[in-house]
Amino acid sequence: MRKAFALPTVALAAAAFPLLAMSSASAHEGASSYQADLGALNQSGVTGTGMVTMDGNQVTVMIEASGLLEGSPHAQHFHIGAQGTCPTDADDTNADGFVSVTEGAPFYGAIGSSLTTSGDTSPDSGLAIDRFPTTGTISYERTFEVTDDVHASFEAGTAVLVLHGVDKDGSGAYDGTVMSDLDPSLPMEATAPAACGTLAAAQMGTAPSGGAETGAGSTAGVEQSTAFGAGAVALVGAAAAGAVAYRRRSADQA
Amino acid sequence: MTEPSRRPSLRTWIVLALALLVVGATAIVIGVTGQQSAPQPTAGTRSATAVPSRPAAPTDSIPNSGVEAPDAPAADVAEPVSVTLPSIGVTSDLMRLGLNDDGTVQVPPLEERDRAGWYERGPAPGAVGPAILLGHVDSAAYGPGIFFDLGAVQAGDTIEVSRADGSVAEFVVDRVEVHPKAEFPTIDVYGNTDDAQLRLITCGGDFDSAVRSYEDNVIVFATLAGTRPA
Repeated sequence: MRKAFALPTVALAAAAFPLLAMSSASAHEGASSYQADLGALNQSGVTGTGMVTMDGNQVTVMIEASGLLEGSPHAQHFHIGAQGTCPTDADDTNADGFVSVTEGAPFYGAIGSSLTTSGDTSPDSGLAIDRFPTTGTISYERTFEVTDDVHASFEAGTAVLVLHGVDKDGSGAYDGTVMSDLDPSLPMEATAPAACGTLAAAQMGTAPSGGAETGAGSTAGVEQSTAFGAGAVALVGAAAAGAVAYRRRSADQA
Repeated sequence: MTEPSRRPSLRTWIVLALALLVVGATAIVIGVTGQQSAPQPTAGTRSATAVPSRPAAPTDSIPNSGVEAPDAPAADVAEPVSVTLPSIGVTSDLMRLGLNDDGTVQVPPLEERDRAGWYERGPAPGAVGPAILLGHVDSAAYGPGIFFDLGAVQAGDTIEVSRADGSVAEFVVDRVEVHPKAEFPTIDVYGNTDDAQLRLITCGGDFDSAVRSYEDNVIVFATLAGTRPA
């Protein structure tokens, strides 16, 4: 009897075990952080850092960059599936004065994710100029899901962070006679890479998210509550004794 | 005054009132003077970082941009055992800290014997990269925490980390910063560094009693100055 009861129990426990294991594994055991130190392309003068923490296919992306053209959209992407490196300005193979996206692709690959400010993050949004940062100094943070090929590219060391848009002639706008290799209606300045950095494993294995809850408050409030309490009781007592004394005195005089 | 004085006299009541007045005033004075609040970094440091309306950090504060950081020889550095800050008279054993389910960093449990902790998913103190130690500024139940005085640490102060192999890593404080938690400078604090760095983190700023949480983090940035062998 006892044995017959034990078998289903063991079976149930065995069936439940993977669930238990899964719930404990969800505590970011597999999360890891990557960092890209951005180097300038097309003499943009852009500097910056990108940090990506990946947990499964969910990524939290942070980019701090400066030196970009103010008031103009800067497309930004994870490029994947190539050498995982950045071109240099010497890789201007067609000698038009720009390292273009086409000329950079053999190094950093195709768009894997579009780092938009809202909505779709697929390669389809690669030139969604109304959903990219438009400031000269970028402080970008977003959490979203990437596809399996992007995840695999991070793990293979071939994911590259690229920021686009460079005012090479210093006119204050995207213009010039060289047109974009991606969209002939756009100036080359609007799409040419301005900064690039390979996303490599960060020194911080997994960078925590946000600040730290290192205070639960006590010194911020009332600490010597006993002293305050005793003081209050004593003062009330003093007032009461004083009142009695006053009444007694009044009664005596009457 | 023919009434027999079974009841306390007028003088008794007056003396009682005065005595209680003195006792009460003394207690209140004790309460007020016993009130303590965690020290905050000096005004210069704070004003540089307390501009909440500006979303973007200036670039020159981003460490080693464009520089290829060397690999951290984490395996060569023994795990930390304790931390000492002579300038504020603090020594603490270091517990191990990981991540919470929401991806935020774990903090030590609120215990009577408050300890600081090492975030073990980052570099060990003395390895190349940003090693992270965290400690409470205070707790509701036990009062001042192990890092209560962290805001009083100044540039040039030393921090010592003793390690499992008996060696001691000596760090020198570069700067102390205060940042709103909502604008935590993740890349500055957790991003790659060229050398062995240490960051000590606690809470500061105004206490938001509605959510039982401080609004700011106080962060001490320090650089490895030397290592004493076991």
